[in-house]
Amino acid sequence: MSDAAALPVREPLILGDKSLAEVTGDICRPLDARPTALWWAGFLASLALLGLGVAAVSYQIAVGIGVWGLNRTVGWAFDITNFVFWIGIGHAGTLISAILFLFRQRWRTSVNRAAEAMTLFAVMCAGLFPVIHMGRPWLAFWMFPYPNTRGSLWINFRSPLVWDFFAISTYFTISLVFWYVGLLPDLATVRDRTRRGFRRRILEWLSLGWNGSYRTWLRYEIVYVLLAGLATPLVVSVHTIVSWDFATSVIPGWHATIFPPYFVAGAIFSGMAMVLTLMLVARSTMGLQHYITGRHVDVMCKLVIFTSGIVAFAYATEFFMALYSANQYEQFVFRNRALGPFAWAYWTMVGCNVLVPQLLWFRRVRANLGLVFVLSLAVNVGMWFERFVIIVTSLHRDYLPSSWAGYAPTSIEVATLAGSFGLFFTCFLLFCRFVPVIAMAEIKSVVGTPARPGKDL
Amino acid sequence: MAQRTLAGVFTREEDVLEATGAARREGLTILDVYTPYAVHGLDSAMALQRSRLPRVCFLLGLGGAAFKVWFEYWTTAVAWPINVGGKPWDSLPAFVPVTFEVMVLFAGVSTVVAFFLVARLRPWRRPRLVHPRVTDDRFVLLLAQTDAGFDVARVRRLLERHHATEVCERDYEEVP
Amino acid sequence: MSRRYWKSIEERDGGEDWLPADRDEFPEPLAVLPDAPGTLGRRGFLKAAGFGLAGTLAAGCQRGPVSKAIPFLNQPEEVMPGRATWYATTCGACSAACGLLVKNRDGRPIKLEGNPQHPLSRGGLCAVGQASLLGLYDRWRHRGPLKRGQPASWADVDADIVSALAAIRHRGGALRLLTGTIVSPTLSATIGRFMATFPNARHVVYDAISSSAILDAHERTHGRRALPRYHFGQAAVIAGVDADFLGTWISPVEFTRGYRDGRSLEGNPPRCSYHAQFESGLTITGTKADWRTRIAPGEEGPVLTQLAARVARRAGLAWPAGDVGMPPVPGAPLDDLAGRLWAARGASLVVSGCQDVAVQVICNFVNHLLGNYGRTIDINRPSYQRGGCDAALGELAAELAAGAVDGLLVAAANPAYDLPADLDFATLARRVDLLVSFAGSPDETAALAGYVCPDHHYLEAWSDAEPAAGCASITQPVLAPIGGTRAIVESLARWMDDARPAYELVRAHWESALFPRRIPVEPFETFWDTAVHDGAVELQVAPRESAASGTSAPLPDPVAAGAAPPEGALSLVLYPSVGQLDGRHAHNPWLQELPDPITKVTWDNCASLSPDAAASLGVREGDVVRIETGGPSPAAAALELPVYIQPGQHDRAVAIPLGYGRASTERFTRAGPHWLESQPGVGPNGLVGINAAPLIVFEGGTLRYGGRAVRIAPTGRRIELATTQRHHSIIEPRQVSSAGSRPIVREMPVSALSAQQPPPGATREGRGLWPDDHPYSGRRWGLIIDLNACTGCSACVVACQVENNIPVVGRDEVRRQREMHWLRIDRYFTDADESVDVVHQPMLCQHCANAPCETVCPVLATVHSADGLNQQVYNRCVGTRYCANNCPYKVRRFNWFTYARADAVENLVLNPDVTVRTRGVMEKCSLCAQRLLEARISARARGEPARDTDVRTACEQSCPAGAIVLGDLNDPASRVAALAKDPRYFQVLEDLNVRPGVGYLAVVRNRDADPGKAGHV
Repeated sequence: MSDAAALPVREPLILGDKSLAEVTGDICRPLDARPTALWWAGFLASLALLGLGVAAVSYQIAVGIGVWGLNRTVGWAFDITNFVFWIGIGHAGTLISAILFLFRQRWRTSVNRAAEAMTLFAVMCAGLFPVIHMGRPWLAFWMFPYPNTRGSLWINFRSPLVWDFFAISTYFTISLVFWYVGLLPDLATVRDRTRRGFRRRILEWLSLGWNGSYRTWLRYEIVYVLLAGLATPLVVSVHTIVSWDFATSVIPGWHATIFPPYFVAGAIFSGMAMVLTLMLVARSTMGLQHYITGRHVDVMCKLVIFTSGIVAFAYATEFFMALYSANQYEQFVFRNRALGPFAWAYWTMVGCNVLVPQLLWFRRVRANLGLVFVLSLAVNVGMWFERFVIIVTSLHRDYLPSSWAGYAPTSIEVATLAGSFGLFFTCFLLFCRFVPVIAMAEIKSVVGTPARPGKDL
Repeated sequence: MAQRTLAGVFTREEDVLEATGAARREGLTILDVYTPYAVHGLDSAMALQRSRLPRVCFLLGLGGAAFKVWFEYWTTAVAWPINVGGKPWDSLPAFVPVTFEVMVLFAGVSTVVAFFLVARLRPWRRPRLVHPRVTDDRFVLLLAQTDAGFDVARVRRLLERHHATEVCERDYEEVP
Repeated sequence: MSRRYWKSIEERDGGEDWLPADRDEFPEPLAVLPDAPGTLGRRGFLKAAGFGLAGTLAAGCQRGPVSKAIPFLNQPEEVMPGRATWYATTCGACSAACGLLVKNRDGRPIKLEGNPQHPLSRGGLCAVGQASLLGLYDRWRHRGPLKRGQPASWADVDADIVSALAAIRHRGGALRLLTGTIVSPTLSATIGRFMATFPNARHVVYDAISSSAILDAHERTHGRRALPRYHFGQAAVIAGVDADFLGTWISPVEFTRGYRDGRSLEGNPPRCSYHAQFESGLTITGTKADWRTRIAPGEEGPVLTQLAARVARRAGLAWPAGDVGMPPVPGAPLDDLAGRLWAARGASLVVSGCQDVAVQVICNFVNHLLGNYGRTIDINRPSYQRGGCDAALGELAAELAAGAVDGLLVAAANPAYDLPADLDFATLARRVDLLVSFAGSPDETAALAGYVCPDHHYLEAWSDAEPAAGCASITQPVLAPIGGTRAIVESLARWMDDARPAYELVRAHWESALFPRRIPVEPFETFWDTAVHDGAVELQVAPRESAASGTSAPLPDPVAAGAAPPEGALSLVLYPSVGQLDGRHAHNPWLQELPDPITKVTWDNCASLSPDAAASLGVREGDVVRIETGGPSPAAAALELPVYIQPGQHDRAVAIPLGYGRASTERFTRAGPHWLESQPGVGPNGLVGINAAPLIVFEGGTLRYGGRAVRIAPTGRRIELATTQRHHSIIEPRQVSSAGSRPIVREMPVSALSAQQPPPGATREGRGLWPDDHPYSGRRWGLIIDLNACTGCSACVVACQVENNIPVVGRDEVRRQREMHWLRIDRYFTDADESVDVVHQPMLCQHCANAPCETVCPVLATVHSADGLNQQVYNRCVGTRYCANNCPYKVRRFNWFTYARADAVENLVLNPDVTVRTRGVMEKCSLCAQRLLEARISARARGEPARDTDVRTACEQSCPAGAIVLGDLNDPASRVAALAKDPRYFQVLEDLNVRPGVGYLAVVRNRDADPGKAGHV
């Protein structure tokens, strides 16, 4: 039975009691219509950014990593910052699609498709950086343990970078599969609305001959639950492993046991903010007000402020541990973080991640979608700076004061960051054009069919 | 003679549920039910047994993990032991993360592959829809005309009693 | 878990043919060094195939692709491709003339090392000496003689010059030969012969870094114009007044070795001389002092007077000097110093670099009172390392001004660059009709000269040297001249119709002049062969009547403080920097990129100010200031230099290094990689740094480097200095830490040393969490560095660079903190009363047993060897830089660009045993793995176990102070094993339990125990 009927007291998830056909029509409209000027504008802008990034990366690979601002002391900066940032963005998608699914949060149905797509594209952006940050990226395949003529010389399974390599690739594969399986019925729906032609042929291939058979539906649901059950620990493990890149090192400011929960919370935090950003845009530009309602925004805002609390707690814990450990290196690192040459970055981070989200306690703020949009952007900025602060301020002044150094990004690094955003939005806009941005089958199961009047069950 | 089927098309979720239940009580052979989304309760109405996909998931996940532990141990401690940072030859704790990832990878991918196999979903399969709007907003109950004793008129009445908007006979080849 | 894994039955049962992992897996002996002559080992053949090409290039020096390598048709038996041949010769990088061993590979010298048999340098070699090798492969050297700047043939040039000289000789014109100090007896003799052929000829000698005042003073006090030899090793108390004898003064390598002998800390009570230093700027000598006092430039006189007065009082000599000026330094410590000096009569030493003769006279007076002559100061066997006479230089300038000079030959000097603006040599020289320069490579003087008759690089030439009386050494060529150059001595002989080559000239002179002074009677052939083989021989000093021993000299007049600079003005200190000296090696990129031991600035010179002075002027580091000298002299020069804040410097002093702004440094404009945001490698003037020599004062017959009053005004411009150690990082260690300071360097007073305390090494190896699967059962290499011996002279830095093919990255990259030195010298300041204490700490890969870098490398590109080396596998490295991030010592270096340059000539200096790293890989100190391997292989070929005494790393070999010791930590007989038990032994950042293989010995200050000073810095 439909939730709309099951939960009469609550405001319904989907407004304007749609019929099933209307749902199909509404969601598939952007796919049939010609792209709007707005879409073209956005698409060309992202494409330009992507081009810039491609140019920057090609130049860097041709000339050398030296075109980045790194030095003998600060060996990582923008590259790994961007990597962790994008991975974090990616996490919200899996969270919404898997964890909320297991918790039977039906409101997720409106956003999970887009969120999963966001995950895929974010992980693509993230996966880029570990490769291009190498001194010899053309040898990146050496990270993979394949039999070779060197002995065989395998890889170092003790290295967190190897853990990373496996985590990221697994995460991408599982997310892709998860997304595709969820997409099958809708592809079939779109296929059946499409007349003969090239596009229909593509869709026939992609939809694997889905015909709505209930036997398939039954197995489909089982698989979906299984994948959700696998993705939930996966999403936690991935960012845990990312955090181990730092936590297993000896560098004060990196070598911290609270990193895994701290990073996972931060990931969900930033991811939620990014989902909000995208949803609010999609909602207003693609006329999906009835599917992505104020209630969705409200729930996500609550998640944001919750994770913001965890992150704030982590910041505090770090300082407390530095104080409590009586470890002079730790103490110096954190004093240097708050007062040193990169204090501006640190306070930007605190401002965006701790102070700004507090506004979301107020229902009026949560209801004001424009304000929420701005807040979500602020959180994204703050979370980028969190990674920057962790990486750069810990590295630039470590044990031996003789090797302390500064860091300033070059134009190439900035262009590379911009390029990753270009890649992300290019992919996302194409996704809006060619794939139903909302899971129709799931929406229909939420909408259901109106009960027959005067009927006794 | 080519075997015939009888398809009842419904517009409401509960109609098809009731119709299916009724059809089974009548002892009719339910070939399948086609719905635009996963209608809960149909499995009991059709008396389908649980899928065995979870076992595939579990076993292959376990296999993947086991393989990975062995592989890491073999490469690091047996095939070519190298002194890395003074760590012991078999640094088992350091092997855990990759093991977990590989387990998830094996489990997830194998489950989906198994699903495609048993559900006979494959790219080159031409979809034959029992009704053009079955993936949009129509629910179709497909019954088999098992033998000559199959009374088409009676069954048609049964379906229409459950508000079937249309009832049509089909050749076996025409349906999925 | 301690299970044992085995790959084969043989391994499990440990059969005969099973080889443990730590032994070589190839059972057959490698055909290496001790091959029978003529046979060619496998390795030898491979290397020959690889480097025969380089050999031919070295001989022919042609650029461009060579299609095929031509093997020796009949191979000279002493040249074995792939095997190094060693030649003993003499260093010509400066007039100190240290002994050299030149490592030749396939016909080209690739490394210079100190000659342990040389009585002066005793195996050490300074940074400049190490680097001078690169000058040989300098593409910009003169390829042949020049006539008015145009290439010409020797015959042509000779004809012109000979006729010109004949004309001068005929009409009795004035011929002047202007040279730097000539340590070569043969050259001196030849010059003498040459000059004798002219009615009016004079040989004028000057030093750009002059010690003329010392010689003049001894002329007054001892009746002999000579530079005495100082024996720091025999001095128990040393007082240095503005003399950087460990850095640049006269013969630093010799003095460093002696100084270290005097502070060897051997015996009980430990042998440790007391060293007091009075100086304005901060020098590395000052950093080693037990008591260092800042004095204003020009206060050397009063200080020495005060000291002399106090010593005289103890000597019971009435010397009316007690009331000279107020003592510019605290009186009590000065009394203490005088007491110590007096107590150590005959074993003390007072030296001064001051260029005021009167001050030097007082210096001699003090030494005389202390009875140091004949003991720590040898005037009868003097040093010839500084022979300059500034007075004669003044006369020459006068003659030039009067246009009274018809011919001027300039050799081994660059007067147009390094003379003060007062003398204005460049203008005066233009008035001379015949100006001949012997400069081997383009310089300011050669640019003026009508004729340039380029001299060889000293590695191409036959010559000799007698740096100190009775110590003669041979300079022999180690490869055929690369260009069409000619030795000076040959040129002069040629112009005297003496066509003999340098070899015969040298040999003849040795037979006639030096051989008779040989004590053991032997045939000349034996003598000559010994000299050529050993590089140096002891000779008898011609017995001359012992110089007047000072008493005869009248009591010196006390010297009052010079006029204090006017209000708001500072007084100038011009000093030779350790890397650049007087600028003669400015074309050498290794030296340009060598961080100055004190300022850590590369590729630039700067004006150092004390923190207070900078504060009062309101300038920060990097601010460009305008330095103006007042005064009526035409030399009212001005230059603009960036400010460097220098703790420990006197507040009234502004210190500027000489030797910068040389023409021929414009070549460095494009040094280093070029990309979107790269900056030029030179300053706004198109040169590296700015020449400060014009500010030198010529006064009282000597060149004065200090005391000139200057006004300083900010220009508002800023430049970023290319420093390898950020300034704020200097004093930080004390301030950053609330809980004590960081365990990086350790100091202790000498008293704490004699009090025997249990070696802290007892409980060093903490128990790990995991079973130790790696018990370095065989050899475990270790390196121990004695911070007490280390003076920070940076010889090891350059030695490492030469040995390991470390690229030069240029100023822009250094600014970006990307210098590539595997071995750097960290220096830490701590506050001492009214001065600073400085500790120099050579920092290199610590070869940790629990190396954090190894664990994090994803592709196993850095792993640990069975004998304890942390190995970097270049061809496996993918360049994630994770290892560098995780290194607590930050000693890993990354190839951000392709740093190797395609210079066919310069690249001949590369060491064929060491890979040239490509872009994108990590690199770091390998503990000279190639040397360890060579020793191991040759030992096995000899059929005996490799002993750690067979091998020395490049840094260890070059260290003049012998501060670095390599050895097998597992061998109880080895030196490192013994040093590791020394109470001074400690490891950097020990609490991390990374178990470094490199250890250090604490700095010892000859002070009373002071809780504030002891312990970590």
